[in-house]
Parts: sequence; structure tokens; C-alpha cells
Amino acid sequence: MTATMMTATSGKTTCPYCGVGCGVNLTLPYSANEAVPPVSGDLEHPANFGRLCVKGSSLAQTIQSDDRLLTPMVGGHPVAWESAIKTVSAKIAQVVKDHGPDAFAFYLSGQILTEDYYVANKLAKGFIGTANVDTNSRLCMASAVVGYKRAFGSDTVPCNYEDLELCDLLIMVGSNAAWTHPILYQRIAAAKKQRPNMKVVVIDPRETATCDISDLHLAIKPGSDAAIFSFLLSDSVQAGILDQGFVTNHTNGFKAALAQANESTPSLSLTADFCGVSEQDLASLVDWWRDTAKTITFYSQGVNQSSSGVDKCNAIINCHLATGRIGKEGAGPFSITGQPNAMGGREVGGLANQLAAHMDFATPGAQDLVQRFWQAPNMATKDGLKAVDLFQAMEEGKVKVVWIMSTNPMVSLPDTAQVRRALEKCELVIVSDCKAHTDTTVMADVLFPATGWSEKDGTVTNSERRISRQRGLLPAPGEAKHDWWAICEVAKSLGFQSAFSYQSIHEIFAEHAALSAFENNGRRDFDIGHFSQISKAEYDALIPVQWPVPEGRPEGTKRMFEDGRFFTPDGRARFIGITPSFPKSRASQEWPFTLNTGRVRDQWHTMTRTGDAASLAKHTAQPYVEIHPKDAKRLAIKDKALVRLTSPYGEALLKAKVSRAVALGNVFAPIHWTQQFANASVVSNLIPQVVDPLSGQPESKHAQVRLEAVGGICYGLIISAVPLVLSDCLYWCQVPSEQGYHYEVVWPSGQTQASLKLIDVGQSQDLAEKAEWLEYSNPITQQIRLAKLVDQKLTLLIYSHPQPESLVADWLISKLAINTSLSAQDRLAILVGIPANLEDKGDIVCSCYQIGSKQIEKAVTSGVCSVDGLGARLKCGTNCGSCLPELKRFIPTVAELSV
Amino acid sequence: MPSLISQSEKRRLVIVGAGMAGSKLAHDFEKAHGDEYQIVLIGEESRVGYNRIMLSSLLANDISDTEMPLVDTQKMQENGVDIVSNDPAIKVDSKNKTILLASGKSIIYDQLVLATGSRASVLPIHGSSAPNVMGFRTWSDVDVMTQLDDRRSVCIIGGGLLGLEAAVGLVKRGHKVVVFHRSSWLLNRQLDEESAELLLNRLEQMGIEFRLGESPESFLQTDDGRVSHVVCKKGEKLSVDLVVMAAGISPEIALAKSAGLKTDRAILVNEQMQTSHVDVFALGECCEFDRQTFGLVAPIWTQINVLMKVLVGKEAAFVVEPTPTKLKVSGVNLFSIGKIQPSEEDSCILFKDVSANHYRKLVVNGGLLVGAILYGNVADGSWYFQLIQNKTNVSNMLDLLVFGEAYCCPQVA
Repeated sequence: MTATMMTATSGKTTCPYCGVGCGVNLTLPYSANEAVPPVSGDLEHPANFGRLCVKGSSLAQTIQSDDRLLTPMVGGHPVAWESAIKTVSAKIAQVVKDHGPDAFAFYLSGQILTEDYYVANKLAKGFIGTANVDTNSRLCMASAVVGYKRAFGSDTVPCNYEDLELCDLLIMVGSNAAWTHPILYQRIAAAKKQRPNMKVVVIDPRETATCDISDLHLAIKPGSDAAIFSFLLSDSVQAGILDQGFVTNHTNGFKAALAQANESTPSLSLTADFCGVSEQDLASLVDWWRDTAKTITFYSQGVNQSSSGVDKCNAIINCHLATGRIGKEGAGPFSITGQPNAMGGREVGGLANQLAAHMDFATPGAQDLVQRFWQAPNMATKDGLKAVDLFQAMEEGKVKVVWIMSTNPMVSLPDTAQVRRALEKCELVIVSDCKAHTDTTVMADVLFPATGWSEKDGTVTNSERRISRQRGLLPAPGEAKHDWWAICEVAKSLGFQSAFSYQSIHEIFAEHAALSAFENNGRRDFDIGHFSQISKAEYDALIPVQWPVPEGRPEGTKRMFEDGRFFTPDGRARFIGITPSFPKSRASQEWPFTLNTGRVRDQWHTMTRTGDAASLAKHTAQPYVEIHPKDAKRLAIKDKALVRLTSPYGEALLKAKVSRAVALGNVFAPIHWTQQFANASVVSNLIPQVVDPLSGQPESKHAQVRLEAVGGICYGLIISAVPLVLSDCLYWCQVPSEQGYHYEVVWPSGQTQASLKLIDVGQSQDLAEKAEWLEYSNPITQQIRLAKLVDQKLTLLIYSHPQPESLVADWLISKLAINTSLSAQDRLAILVGIPANLEDKGDIVCSCYQIGSKQIEKAVTSGVCSVDGLGARLKCGTNCGSCLPELKRFIPTVAELSV
Repeated sequence: MPSLISQSEKRRLVIVGAGMAGSKLAHDFEKAHGDEYQIVLIGEESRVGYNRIMLSSLLANDISDTEMPLVDTQKMQENGVDIVSNDPAIKVDSKNKTILLASGKSIIYDQLVLATGSRASVLPIHGSSAPNVMGFRTWSDVDVMTQLDDRRSVCIIGGGLLGLEAAVGLVKRGHKVVVFHRSSWLLNRQLDEESAELLLNRLEQMGIEFRLGESPESFLQTDDGRVSHVVCKKGEKLSVDLVVMAAGISPEIALAKSAGLKTDRAILVNEQMQTSHVDVFALGECCEFDRQTFGLVAPIWTQINVLMKVLVGKEAAFVVEPTPTKLKVSGVNLFSIGKIQPSEEDSCILFKDVSANHYRKLVVNGGLLVGAILYGNVADGSWYFQLIQNKTNVSNMLDLLVFGEAYCCPQVA
């Protein structure tokens, strides 16, 4: 297998970032030592047709990492795979024997592939006997899943990406797609440009980049979204746009839902008031909704990450059902997932409240069906623990072994302090990752080195139900292995040889496909029976296809519910009565600010991949908190200054970004920075473990916090040839850089040249006596700047100043170049931070006024014909006169002049 | 000689002293007012009108004789300026408005300008008047030094600008040079200790030996009166062939005194450069204004400009401004201006790149730059000079000020 990978020169694969699931062309270098050339977008992939966003475009830069986990580790020591697997399986066997199967849990990820997910789910639910299989998808779209299931009887995304281009009204709720799903956003923007009558409405408490193309932005009170859709339902009846035939023939529960809507949102004015928007703006949306049959409601984390996320989803779906705007071109409720394979995880049943293949424990006959298919000895019989509950059970000592795969719960789950306590309490923490150092790997007892993107082989499903191949084009480094392989080895070691003896990845996919079709007969939405006999060659050649792909329908399915038939027992969709509610935690005197969380354009999740690409740090280098100018002024917080956010659960230090994009009393912080990149900026420290009671999805977009300016500090910049441990810093952030190490720091004030010179003591290999220091000190501005040179080459640069400054460090970092001695100009400029755009004066002739030969020649060319004239023009020679002889030589003789 | 006391209809301007100040005044004044004035320039040296500043360069062989003239004396004479050389003025009869020269000639003036300059101060050490003890002021001093045989031992007394320039010139000519300097660091009026250290290292690399914080105790003389040894404090005796006194200059005011002009350290002048006698003016190193004397060329050029006007009855006033100092040693760049030893209310902005011999110190007070030392890279010296001269408020560029003009005024660069 490795051999064929090595001979391939390029291949098509799928981007590992957001749920858009773009096709990527990856070209391999000629030899293993060369860097992988930049990737390009796959022109044939229906998600992106060749486009790639900046994160995707930078994928090649993230392939080489200095921080790969290359060997299994047990208790901090490298061991052979065989030994590590034995350690793990022995412990699992012991806790299952002593405490029952629910003492074991998987905590998986929307980044692993469908096949990895499938075998993990199979092992836990059919062989160990626990449904404790949850995933970071819980944090992402669990509410959307439950919303679909309540309405449709199945977790079915009705729409496709083309619908986004074909609709006449696009309502984007709780989504900053411009940054989080850039290619979809580009497709929408292009469609809108072509058809300017297409309306785009953004519903979001913040003014985001997505608002750039919007015709209307409703800056609602955080969490109030459901009220808008509750009112749209009522209004649809009032306005006479109800699709009576569809409601009558294809739905249940309309009357009750309408009554609840009428009661919850009796008027436009009360709804506008509830949401904190103007009646006029809400009326615009209502008018457009009334007039536009081709409407898509596009929603993401802003809807899902809520204590009432499921209700919000159903409030949206209700409106589409009532108007029959579903199952049609350019219409439908469209949940957009955040992760590359959250959908694949849902398909195999890789969530604690699912069984397998879109069947639940509660689905009649499902347990028996799956048990027979798997020939499972130990079927789980009930829902397992959802993410937050799982970690709470871990802290309570109920879950004793957890296997975490490709995710970073120390940063992504709410209340990091609780997560830490849970992992500390857990008897065996197994972490599979491709990175050696994450906030979660430091908590592990056993580390399994995993293959990463471009090495992993399997399938993923994007937000429009499209299954694509991620292809293993590069060899696995070190001892890294595919996740499915590690799971199967543990399963075999536990005694389940026959059920986990796959020879190749396509066998797993085929089994997954076979299960989806097993006794299905059109009863279950997820059916990819066409692939149940797939060969390796066919699997390797798989072209992206939208499920369902049942036997006999290889072209797949573009759009769902076109026939108005749903997957409930009676085939009718269900209206769900909704009462809009606000988030659980409310502002108080002690915790006056509402914290919203989200993403920046060029980072992905916890930066374990994107953090390797220096270019991606250019857009946003440091963690920040967005704060309204009036709030900032009141709290004496200056732009770029360090701010302490405190909640009842913990604190975080972030740089202020004063902006009107957030409303008064609200703040916003991106979630990406881990302790690998910044010592004190983990935003999940602040988030309560409040979840939606139905989906278990945390209300991560809402926390109550206190803000304060941090005093008694000075700000600094450090650029070092070697990584530094910055123990004296109150705050540090490592900004990914092309070379060397770039830190933005904050010290307690009172730093001196002497104290700063000690920063790399014991950390750098430079001999102290070989070091030359360049020093700048300014008592007026309280600046200190130091540069350390060894053999005339820059190895360390330290800037300290009392006010936050923003220097573009790229140029300084470029001066770390290994083989370059610094020029005289640069020796000054590295303490300025910018290169001087110095005029080339030529050789200095007049040293009093520093006038150079080139300036004099220029003056002579322009007509100056005497030394006095030069003096009048340039001042040269008018002080000490010692250059007068030289100046004379520049003046052409009379004879020459006359010629 | 009758021609010198000719009965020309023109007014007579007599300038005593044909050094830089006198020569340039004569030159510029002739250009401006040659039609109405008969100008007489009297010099004691055989060569007049040369650029004294270049003596160090001449000594160091950086330039040749042909590059020495400051003004074109031949052309001046063609234009009617009477130039008398090698004939010092010895007496002023202000009553009869007549100058008596050593040769016995007497010259009548309507207006008289004294530009008698200064002489090297002679330290009160026994033997200072020995034939091989000299100053470093004139072209003929350079002649003496350039005619020294190879590999002589020279002792220079004074580590100021002149002493160091002499030392470099002599060491370049292959002589063994020891410099005595009374202060604990070189150029103590122009540099601080750190920048002086950089300079010291550089000059030591060139082969000059230094005795800092030390003056010679005495000279040992041979029978013929020549100094053979310099005796140091601890009794150590250094064998020498030549002693160069460069421990400061004394304004040359003997003539003025004899004429009864008011003097202090030098000839007292008002802001019109006028002495206590109404038609007598003084200029350059021999004058004293507002308790200051002048050793650098810049203020003297300003004085010339003032005199150019005053002599023809126009209004002008001399104002003292800070003047930058440089050391004319090729390969050594330093620049010093204004207040360089800060007092308590001043702040010092520092840039140090010791291994690259680059040092900058700016003294700032109340938003104004008041002093600067640059060593190694002096490109911004003139800009700092302008900031001081123009009293430019630098408050909004304090964070970049020490890095120079290119950073503070990028549109200018």
C-alpha cells in the first residue's frame, strides 16, 4: 500500500476543515525530503468546483509538523504498539469486568473518518456493550440532529448547495459563513451578484463579515432567534401563505404548534421587542418571507449551541413545513455542519443517543437488527452519556477509561476546570492524535500516534450529504497508524477477532453500507446499499455522491422529501410547539457582560493543524475579546490592551478589540487558542456546562462574565531562534511564524534591561560570551529593546513598552534567517521594528550635512553649476568647508558646460 | 610702501589675520563690496587663505597641498585685495587709524577687523619652550611633523579633537605616539564615558597609546635644550623625539591689548562684533561674546555674515547657537552637539551596539532635544543639529527619535 502511495504523483482528496467538504488536489513531492507543493481546489468536486478558502489553500504548509506524535507512549515513555494495545485492552477488560461496560467511553471527533467512527461505534455498542460513544460533534450540531429527527423522524438534511444558489431569499441564522464556511459563502455571494434580486438576511447578535452581502442584518439579543421563526409561523397563516395541502397531507401537529406560536409571539411589535430589533427591520424580513417561496434558512452553531437549540431548529423547520418550502429547488431548512465529517459520524451512529446507521435505541426492532448484523455478543441497550454528562460521570468516578480520538476537550468542552478534574480522576486516559503536544495529550496516560490528513484513508460526508474520499497519499510517519487500525487491534486484543479483522479500509465501508441497507426497504433515510459490495478499486475511485445511494440508484440523491414523505412511522412530518426562551445564564451585577464565542477566518478549531501555517496567523495573530467602545471607555480598556475575563468557572486573558460589531453589554471571543499557543487565553474556561436538555449540546455561545483592564503591566514582543519557556510572563501568545519563534507577551511592569536579558538563559545553546547585545532604552517612553547576536546573526529580540503596540513582526522574523549576517542598517532597524526606506545617498561627501555623492550628482544634473549653488541647494560645504575640494570635482568645467 | 597707503577714494577695510576667518571675510566682502572698499588682508604666516581645518587631513596624508586653499588668493588679488603675508601686525594706532606691521609698513584703515585667531596653550611644564615642543595650529606645524624622520617617538599632550587628530596623523606616518589626557576619558567635552570607550578602542587599534587621567610631570632636556624624555607621575620616563601641545588654545589678543581694546579671555565684542573701539571689530577665535569664545567654524561663519552687514551699516546681530563637533579622523565617525552631560531634569535616550561601534545618546528636556552624541554612524547628526537649532518639538517622535531621520520623517528620506 505504501509503495503505491509513493509512486502516485498526485491525487484527489477532501479538505479536513469545515463541513463544506471541498475537493482538494494534492501533489506529492518527488522525494520524501521535499516539501509538499501547495494544494489546489478540485475543479470536479461539486462542493467547491476548484475554489479553496485560505485555510484549505494552506493545507500543504500544515503537512510537515515539528510536533508529530510518532510512537505510542505509555506513562510518558515510548513503547511498541503491541505493548500499548495490551495495556489498553487489559485495562478496558478489567474495568468492564469490575464496573460494567459503562465504565468505558469513547470521545470521538468530527475529524475522524466514517470508517474510524464505524469500528469505534461497533466495538463500544456491540462488543463492549456501552453506548458511551460521544463526540465533539455534540458541540457542533447535536441540536440540529435532534431538530431534524423530531420533525422528520430522521436526521436528514433536505437541501443541497445548489439550493443556496437557486433560492430567492436566504436567511442566515447564527452563522458567520464568510469566515466559517468560506466557499459556500463565496458561492452565495456569486449567486447574489448574478441575481441582485436575491435577498440575504443575517440574523446574528454580532455584525460579522457575513453581513457584507446582506440586505438586512437583524442584530438580535443573544439567543432570541426562535421568536423570529415563531412569529413567521403565525404570520404565514395571517398572510395566507400557508401551504394547506402540504400541511394537511404531509404533517401532524400544526394546530398545536400554531397556537403555541400565536401565544408566544402574538405581534410583530412584541416579537421585535423580545429580539431587540426594530419593528421596521423585522417587518422587512416578514415581507420578504411572505413574498418568497424559494427561501432557505441556513443555520449553524449560533442556533445549535444553545440551551434551547433544538427548539430553535424546530421553530425554523415549522416555518418551512407550514409553507411547504421543503423538498423543492431553492427551499428548505439547511443546517450547516462545522466539521469535515460530523455528518459521517451521524451516519454510523457515532453519538451516545444513536445506535447505528441512523437507527436509535428507541427505534422499534433496531437493537435486534443491529445485533444480528454485527453478530454482537454484548449489545448496548440504552443511550450512553452525552459529552458534558460523560465528563461529569468521569469526575464522579463512573467512567474509568476514556479513549479520546482526534479532539481536544480541554479546550473545546465548556468549563475546562471540570474537564481537567474529570481527566485527572479517570483511571486510564487514552488519546489518539497526530500531535504530540495538545492541551489534552498532556492529560493522557496512553498516547496513540495517529495518521493525519493526507495519510488517512477513508470517507467523509459534507453538509449536503455528499460522501467523498479522503485519500491516504503520503506515507505515515514514524509509528503512526490509522485510527481504525488501532481500534480494531484493541478489539481483537479484547477477544473480538472475527468482527474486527478487516484487511483493508474498503471492507469497513462496505460493511457500513451493508448495515445501512440491512432490512431497510426504504424505511430509513440513510441507505447506501449500492456500496455494500464495493471493491477496493471501486472504493479508491469513488466519486463524490450524495446519499441515499440505495441499491440501484448509484447516482445518489440530490434533494430529500421531494415526495412529501418523511421517515416518521406514519410518513408525516411533525410540527413541534415552541416557546422561545433566552439563554440560561443571565446578566447580573456580578457578571454583567454576555460573552459570545466563535471563530476567526483563518484558524480551525484548536489550531492543531492551522497553527502550523504561519501565513494563517497573519489575519489574527492573538486571541482577543471584542468589546463595544462605550463599555471599553467605561472600564478604561484601550484597544489592544490586555483584559481579564472572569466567570464563575474560570478566567481568561485576552487582548481587547474595541469594535461596534458587538452590542453594548456584549463581548465576543474566538475559541481557538490553547495553552500550546497562549498561556492564559482558553475561552472554554469561562463557559458553563449548560446544555440543551434534548440534544445535550452545550450553550457555548453564551456565558456571563466580568471584564477588567489589567494594570501594572508592560507589553512585549519576543522573537527567538529557539522555543522559550516564558515563566515570568503574565500573558504570552506564540504566533506561528515562518521561522523561529514569535511571542507576544505581557510582563508585570518594572522590567529592566538586565532582567530581560535573562529570558533565554538555560534555553538557548548560545555561549554567553559570544553574544553581542544591541540595546535601546528610552526612559521617556519607557521602551526597552534588546537584540542578541551570535556571530553577527540575530538569535533573540526583545521589545518592551508600556502601551500595547502592534508591530508587524514579519520583517523582524525574516532577520532570524540562519545564514545572514545583519547589515549595518539592519542592526539599527531591528530595534526599530521596521526597515528604513533609506534613500541611497551614495558616498558621503559633506559629513556636516551628510550629503552624498548621488545627491550631488543629481543636483548637478538638474543644473547646479557651482559649489556655492550646491551649498544653496543641499547645504553641503557650507559648514566646515572641508568638503569644498571634493565638491569642486563634481562641477563640470566651463569648457564642458559650453559644449 | 606707498601703494598700501594709497589715496584711493575707496573706504579702507583692514583685516588683521589671514586665517580662515580673516581670509573668508576678505573674500566674501570683496565680492559684495569690492567696488566701494579697498580691502587689505594681513597675515603672519607665509601661506594665507588656507583651510586650517584640513591640516589634520593633510598630516594624515588624506589630502594633498593642492586641496588646502579655502579661498582663491590669486583671484582676490586680481580683484584688488591687498594681501600681505609673512608680516604680522605689531601695533594698532587707533587714534590715527593706522596699523604697524613687523616689516615697518604702516597701513591706514577706516574700519579694522581683528581676526588674530589663537595659539596652542602651553602647559606650565619646565621645558615647554624647548625647540622640539610644538603646537598644532599652522601649515608650518604640519611641515615640521611631515618632515620628521621615520619611527620617531612623539608625545601628544591633550586628548581633545586636535590632539587626537595629530596623534592619528603621526601614527599613520609611522611614528610611535603616546597621548596624555588629563581627564579619565577622551574628548571629555564632546563624549560621554561609553562613547569615549568606543573611540579609545578604535584609536588603540590604530596603534596609539594612551595615558588617561594623566599629565606629564616634567620634561627631561638634553644639553642642547631639546626634550629627551617625558616624566610620568610614577616616575616612569618615556623617551621622546617630539612633544605636541594640544591641551587647548589661547586666543591671540596681544595686539588688541596693546591697542587698548577691552579684553577678558579674548577680545570683547558686542552682537555686531564690535570691540570697545567704534571702528574696530573682532572675529573668530580671538573674540569673546557673551562670555564665550569660539573654536569651531560654524559660529565664525555666522560672525562673518553679521560683519558683512554691520561693516556697511546694515543691521545684523550675532546669536550663539549650538555647534556640532566632529573628529576628522578617517574611519572614525563621531558627532557631538549641545548638552551631553544630562542634569536631573533631562532624560537620556540610548542606543548601543557596542560590537558594531555604534552608539547614540540623545538628551531630551521638556519635548526638546538639547544634546546628542553619535558614535560610529553619524548620518543623523545634521538632522539632530537642526532639531536643536530650530528648537523643534520632538514630543511626538520620542519613540523613534534615536533611530534617526529616516524613521521619524520617512517622507524626507
